[in-house]
Amino acid sequence: MLRAELRKILPYRTVWFILLLYAALLALFVSVGSGVVINGQPVGNTLYAFPELWHKLSYVASYFNLLLGILLIILITDEFQFRTFRQQVIDGSSVAALVQGKLAVSALLAAFGVLTVLAVGLFFGLTRSPASAGQAGQQLGAVLLYGAQALGYLALAALLAFLLRKSGPAILAFMLYAWVVEPLSRLLVPDEIDRYFPTKVFSALTPTPGQELLDTVTGPSSALLPTQALPLALAYAALFWLLSYLLLRNRDL
Amino acid sequence: MILELDNLSKSYGGTQALRGLTLQIEAGSVYGLLGPNGSGKTTTLGLALGVLQASGGAVRWFGQPLSSQSKRRVGALLETPNFFPYLSARQNLLLAADVKHADPASVDTALALVNLKDRQHDAFRSFSLGMKQRLALASTLLGNPEVLVLDEPTNGLDPQGIAEVRELIQRLAAEGKTIIIASHLLDEIEKVCTHVAVLQRGELRVAGPVSSILAATDRVAVRVAPDVPPAALLQALSQLAWVSDVKAEPAGTISAVLAPGHSPADLNRALFAQGIILAGLELRHRTLEAQFLELTK
Repeated sequence: MLRAELRKILPYRTVWFILLLYAALLALFVSVGSGVVINGQPVGNTLYAFPELWHKLSYVASYFNLLLGILLIILITDEFQFRTFRQQVIDGSSVAALVQGKLAVSALLAAFGVLTVLAVGLFFGLTRSPASAGQAGQQLGAVLLYGAQALGYLALAALLAFLLRKSGPAILAFMLYAWVVEPLSRLLVPDEIDRYFPTKVFSALTPTPGQELLDTVTGPSSALLPTQALPLALAYAALFWLLSYLLLRNRDL
Repeated sequence: MILELDNLSKSYGGTQALRGLTLQIEAGSVYGLLGPNGSGKTTTLGLALGVLQASGGAVRWFGQPLSSQSKRRVGALLETPNFFPYLSARQNLLLAADVKHADPASVDTALALVNLKDRQHDAFRSFSLGMKQRLALASTLLGNPEVLVLDEPTNGLDPQGIAEVRELIQRLAAEGKTIIIASHLLDEIEKVCTHVAVLQRGELRVAGPVSSILAATDRVAVRVAPDVPPAALLQALSQLAWVSDVKAEPAGTISAVLAPGHSPADLNRALFAQGIILAGLELRHRTLEAQFLELTK
């Protein structure tokens, strides 16, 4: 199954373009980060000190999940557009196998995200803050939590792609949901409830660096702790994939 | 029995695309599914292949409900050739071979069979309609399936391509494969099929061996020598209870329909017994086209 998915992905230029864009934008953001001026002082190379770097990097990378989500939407809606889902079912695939194939692709994309964060982190950490190199192996859990977050966003992207079948509407719905619909609906819902909303749970996996400091000013954040959010995020991802399967199974191809 | 459709129905919203279709397709037959556009041919095949959800009824392949195992014994082309446009012909077939659990080595054989070996490394999107159709045919042959389901297999092909596909179908049928073809090209069906089912507006009009569907309405045309009065021939024909629908045609020819079980030889013998010597006797096979137009009137 994975071999079939790789046969589709590896020769596809769009895939390489988006993955390179993801890596390049992440590296660019991290490299200019030291120029940010806070209280009249550039942040400088302290930004790259291990192990805090992993938390900062995971937080920055969380913004680029959008690119991975768009890529997965393209890969899924392509199959509707080319009618290749239909042909694979004719050729002997089950609907479950089609969905599992895309689940495997989402795992590959999340793994790519995690490896890119690790590579970018090691490069900048070791070159700009070599003194902290000894702590590079600490708090790597932050990066794994980022991987879980990517899986969550990718599951949401997949559900929208299976639901809408066309790349344009699905990408638009993905961005609207994450940036507009859920944030707006959170305004109407008490904090104790909205912290369990999907993208709120996903974003709780990579908390804003220095959140503890902010909390002392603005009062405690209502967001879940990453460790509390992890099982919920994985449950949401599983639910979205299950819904994707049910959608595909009950519709004409 | 290869394929059994039992009271199969399908509606799209308020439109009833297929109404209670029941059909059996036996092993070794070349079964033509005929009908005008929108008659339910593709819907029937889509239901049989599991890409459409039936509103009612059942599909059985090889006596079993549809499954991944049964689908891998069938090679099918439904409506359009469906491939990844950015992959080459070869990459697309390798992918299909993976899905079908077919030997990747069979990709070469299939490409050679449809004369696409020279273009195998070109992207699918650069292909002409005819080449796309040939690639789709190649894909159906991967894994050497027992059954082929071909929906409009000659779509987009030039006359030579059509002849090649016809020859391929006849060769595969001779190997013992069961072939199910949907087409609105009656000539194609008549040339290659052993059985035919005619659909109209989602309903089955007639189904059976091509010979029995066509034979019932074959006409026999007879001509007598100029010195025999045509009235004598008409008189003699009217004596025969198994001759009906007698019609006078130009140039003294008279045509009629024989009841089942009676051959042109029987007619010749009966007329000779009444002292009428024929100068010409011709069995006119009714074309499937004429029969089809009659059925779907």
